Amino acid sequence: MTTLLDYAIPGVPFGCVFALMAVGLVLTYKASGVFNLAFGAQAFVSSLAFVSFVEDGWPRWLAGVVSIVVLGPALGLVLDRVLFRRVRTASPLVKLVPALGLLIALPQVALIVAGSTPDIAPPSLVFDAQRVYLHVASVPISGLELSVTAATVAVVVALVGVFRFTPIGLEMRAVVESPRMTELAGVNAGVVSAVAWVLSSCLAGLAGVLLAPLYAQLDPQNYTVLLVWGIAAAVVARFASLPVALLAGIGLGIGQQVLAGYLPAGILATGLRPSLPFFVLLAFLPFARQRQVDDPLAGCDPPPTALVGEATGYRAANLLARPSGDGTSQPVAGWHRALTARVRRSAGGAGAGGAGAGGAGAGGAGAGGAGSPVHGAVDRLTSRPTLVVAWGIGGLAVLSALTWVPNVWLVTMTQGIAFAVIFVSLTLLTGMSGQISLCQASFAGLGGFVAGQLASHFGTSVLVGMVLGGAVAAVLGVIVALPTLRLAGLPLALATLAFALLADNMLFPNSWVGNGATGVTVPRPELGPVSFNGSHAFFVLALVVLALVAAVVRAVGQGRMGRLLAAMRGSELASVSTGIDVHRLRVVAFALSAGLAGVGGALYGSLEGSLSPDAFNYQFSLVFLVVAAIVGLGSVSGAVVAGLVFAALQTEVATFPARFSGILPVVFGLATLSYTRHPEGVVDFLGGGVLRFLARRRRGDRSDGAPDGSGTDVVPAAGWAPAVGAPAATSPAGASGGVAVGGSAGADGGSRP
Amino acid sequence: MSTATGVVPVLALEGVSASYGPYRALFDVTFAVPPAAVVAVVGANGAGKSTVARVVSGLVPASAGRVVLKGCDVTHRRAFEITRMGLAHVTEGRSVFGSLTVEENLVLAFRRALGRGGLAEALERAYEVFPRLGQRRGQLAGTLSGGEQRMLALARVLVLHQDVLVVDELSLGLAPVVVDEVYEALGTVRTGGTALVLIEQHVNRAFTIADSVVVLHKGRVAYDGDVAGAEERLDELVLGGSTAKP
Amino acid sequence: MTEPVVATPAGSGPIVTRSAGSGPTVTRSAGSGPTVTRSAGSGPEAEELLVARGISKAFGGVVALSELDFEVAPGEAVGIVGPNGAGKTTLFNCLLGVVPPDTGTVTFEGRRIDRLPVWRRSRLGIGRTFQRVELFHGMTVADHLLVAVQARSSGRLHLSDLLRRGGPGEEELAAVASMLALLGLEDVADRLVDGLSLGHARLVELGRALMGSPRLLMLDEPSSGLDVHETERLAGILADVRRRQGTAVVLVEHDLELVEEVVDRLCVLDFGRMIAVGSVDDVLANTEVRRAYLGTGA
Repeated sequence: MTTLLDYAIPGVPFGCVFALMAVGLVLTYKASGVFNLAFGAQAFVSSLAFVSFVEDGWPRWLAGVVSIVVLGPALGLVLDRVLFRRVRTASPLVKLVPALGLLIALPQVALIVAGSTPDIAPPSLVFDAQRVYLHVASVPISGLELSVTAATVAVVVALVGVFRFTPIGLEMRAVVESPRMTELAGVNAGVVSAVAWVLSSCLAGLAGVLLAPLYAQLDPQNYTVLLVWGIAAAVVARFASLPVALLAGIGLGIGQQVLAGYLPAGILATGLRPSLPFFVLLAFLPFARQRQVDDPLAGCDPPPTALVGEATGYRAANLLARPSGDGTSQPVAGWHRALTARVRRSAGGAGAGGAGAGGAGAGGAGAGGAGSPVHGAVDRLTSRPTLVVAWGIGGLAVLSALTWVPNVWLVTMTQGIAFAVIFVSLTLLTGMSGQISLCQASFAGLGGFVAGQLASHFGTSVLVGMVLGGAVAAVLGVIVALPTLRLAGLPLALATLAFALLADNMLFPNSWVGNGATGVTVPRPELGPVSFNGSHAFFVLALVVLALVAAVVRAVGQGRMGRLLAAMRGSELASVSTGIDVHRLRVVAFALSAGLAGVGGALYGSLEGSLSPDAFNYQFSLVFLVVAAIVGLGSVSGAVVAGLVFAALQTEVATFPARFSGILPVVFGLATLSYTRHPEGVVDFLGGGVLRFLARRRRGDRSDGAPDGSGTDVVPAAGWAPAVGAPAATSPAGASGGVAVGGSAGADGGSRP
Repeated sequence: MSTATGVVPVLALEGVSASYGPYRALFDVTFAVPPAAVVAVVGANGAGKSTVARVVSGLVPASAGRVVLKGCDVTHRRAFEITRMGLAHVTEGRSVFGSLTVEENLVLAFRRALGRGGLAEALERAYEVFPRLGQRRGQLAGTLSGGEQRMLALARVLVLHQDVLVVDELSLGLAPVVVDEVYEALGTVRTGGTALVLIEQHVNRAFTIADSVVVLHKGRVAYDGDVAGAEERLDELVLGGSTAKP
Repeated sequence: MTEPVVATPAGSGPIVTRSAGSGPTVTRSAGSGPTVTRSAGSGPEAEELLVARGISKAFGGVVALSELDFEVAPGEAVGIVGPNGAGKTTLFNCLLGVVPPDTGTVTFEGRRIDRLPVWRRSRLGIGRTFQRVELFHGMTVADHLLVAVQARSSGRLHLSDLLRRGGPGEEELAAVASMLALLGLEDVADRLVDGLSLGHARLVELGRALMGSPRLLMLDEPSSGLDVHETERLAGILADVRRRQGTAVVLVEHDLELVEEVVDRLCVLDFGRMIAVGSVDDVLANTEVRRAYLGTGA
């Protein structure tokens, strides 16, 4: 019993910090509907400020007050204003990506601002961290532990007071459900939301400052780990109950200490403790179903151009260039025209009907579109011969790169292609089927490890290894999908994140998988007499792999499965009621996506020559999702651009001075600002911008179009017209494909009643 | 407000236009609501009725024109300010906080207006008017039936004695017997001196208590006058596509 | 015509009159058709399309449905009316599997379905629409119908779709085209559903449900939010569909005009119990029903 207490009591201060984190998470979630994953970063910023101030000679109390009560809330308010307020009513993905981006970016911004990591060991806020003040059940309690526990208790008492004796608690819950309806009750929703952010940001700052002395040096990663514990406690509290969040946090703190004390040394002990949140999450997430209370007044908002775009990412690609019977694509004709033309043709008027369809496709004589010089040009651009020429020129340009691009950049481009393969897997899973995965890097890593292990143990060709690695990753995808079948949105994202942590700690360190810090050698492949050792040859190989993967994903998107996936994304309830087995569909989507990611990981490993678990740890999963979402999840071309940009920036940043080494996460983090405005992604947005411009010119003075009274009736009905911000989710044909949509947009816009 | 003579309207829209993004829903809408009067706003689906309510209560900004409440220009005020000035808006569909209990819904509305002191009394009065709410005070409002939700929304307004009550599609989705009850409650509101703006698609009921009628057609006022005239020309106004103003 | 089966007043025991020992005898007058008298005591009959027995459901102590029996014959149109909160939507969800009932069995075409997932019931031939429209955001009208065809067209793995790149088959397109024509949705076929008027949206839902040629169509307040003309159109389309496909319809609706136009038989729900079953006229004439539902003014 004594030993249990020996382990349990030191766990309390840890637990208190987890609890602070969890209470803050629940608070912001209740008040703003955003699960603020940037919380860990906010904690880090406050602790960095605190340590820096102390290093500069400030008194500890002053440094503490400024960093916790001034800086923390200020940061929280800014985040609320510029970012989270915009996405309050958006889809889970649109809420998640900015928070993730900030989680990655904020610590780096803070480090750049601070100039460097402080040299001193982080001091304790109140007491002397090391001194033993008292004993509880003969366990010595240090100043650090005492201050953490005391502060937590004080904070909780204060919070309970605020909620009990002011209307703010009730108003916060009202604002979460519907800010507009809250205002109709005479409550200033903006103030309520701001108060919640101030409170929770204080908690983040406090947790950060309190925890700082636990580590010899400030490291953002520690705070991300801390965040995961907080998430687990928040999930136990079902995102709703502050007292439960508090108790769960403390319980987890004790639990991890006890586990660490009792487990035998080895991977089980070192791996299990960090994986504890995974098991907690998996056990409790099914009960933490968020009660989806829709804002009945959401219709007051103007049609959310960008948000509609996010939701419609893949649809346009579905419709683009659907081959008609005679082999010509019909980029301009929408569904109906394709349909009637084909039906007419099959009904007997073969010759004339077919010609009509072809004419509609190539000439783009869409309703209202005929006779417009702009549209004539646009449509000509999209005809099949033009596309072939464009692809040809593009292909030649890429191949010519082999001759003149310096080797460094050739390798970078190859890296980009490998990343692109992984991002394409996200296009399929998140873009097309709407499932959020935060363990994509784990899938990729596993694919790479399998390829490497097979090569080193059995001498299997890496090309075969890639396929097998993909297959094993696909199996892992199924394993992830099955227990999470009933989860969606945020809970699914958290479950996959927990799974990534589990893989990092329990799976990859094993010698038969990732081989710990040493990593696994992944040789370059050979195919008969052809060796892909040279960077030129490997570049070509990577291109071929990417082309294959892209073709698969595109085929999925355009086929029946893509349509079913889109339906599942659109409404799961309606999908099952229409006879779609969404559970199986999800497992298939996860398996396929994980498999593709595995292939990408193997490709990356083979390029680098070796692969260590750190190359694909859970942080990369976060980065992957953020990058892919910002650049464009709606299309394969978006994923390709994302991969290339990601690799290029990494190479470029490597040449920067040390102080700016963290600039890359900053770039991607800040890009989430653009993401909240254009969730369809940069690629599709830019494509869409051209289209919007063209469409606007065509519509001319039609801005006073038909008045629609009810809020549900206001999204213009011009088909999938990007004129309203629906994205031109471009096909791999890239920009030219997008322009094709523009043609249609104009045409449909013109015929709008 | 009871001092108003009826010459000065308690609520007036002057040339109001509004849009959702690029889509304009109202065009140059003008009408006035005298104190303690009942104005029915009718029109087909999508005629802009709900938008009128939303503009008046500050949920949707007017892109042109003015909204005047009790002599004050409130065109650019935010919704909570307009509510505090004395205009209540019961929105279409679910108009209560489903995740809060019945009592919490009421407390939310009363606490800022009345303070802790007046709260208990106000709650009591609300339960007096709608005893059924009293029986369900601890129940989540989202689990109430449609009619009870309407009563809850009206209770907030009844107790606070707002000057103007805008009710959007009061009878939508309600059983006929419940519609009776809710209209009865509206009668009480009216006797209390509150002006009513009734937005209804099913006109028969609204016409029985309306003093005047505004017919909207495709975002424009197609008719603004007494009930008899509206009844006479309703089919033509709502369906015939006449956009000419009388 | 026989008298409709009428309930004892609410609160004093079971509502549908039944003889306790040998099972209830339900006498129905099915509109203008022949009167059918059936014994429901010996389990689900072969001729019934859907039979639900003893369905109960409570949400956290609040009873939504209590020991409810309900059946639909092939090709029959049954209306369900009742005050708000009477349990109409809950009954829908229990029959369809969206919400598992606490007790009771559901049989469809002689086969127990109460343990099947929602999508299996749908594929067996039960289509539905939603009170609050549930469409696939971001898809076009035509794609909605195509999804419905393809969801049912085959249960095989989707590998074939990878190989057969691209578009749907001729038959699928033809089916979509004819449904668009039936519903008069040709003009909006290429539009995103997110921008549709509610009237169109409800028709799209109807079309999606009809694409699987269901034996039973369950409509949850289809006229809610529609204006008079849209409602008339909906009624016309429903009649058309029933004439062509012989589909049975369960209609939850407040609009009594629509109910009278469409249904053969009317059930009245109140406090989770069936308080009256019979022909529309008879049920509406019943005083108990008038008190509970219509009020004095109607």
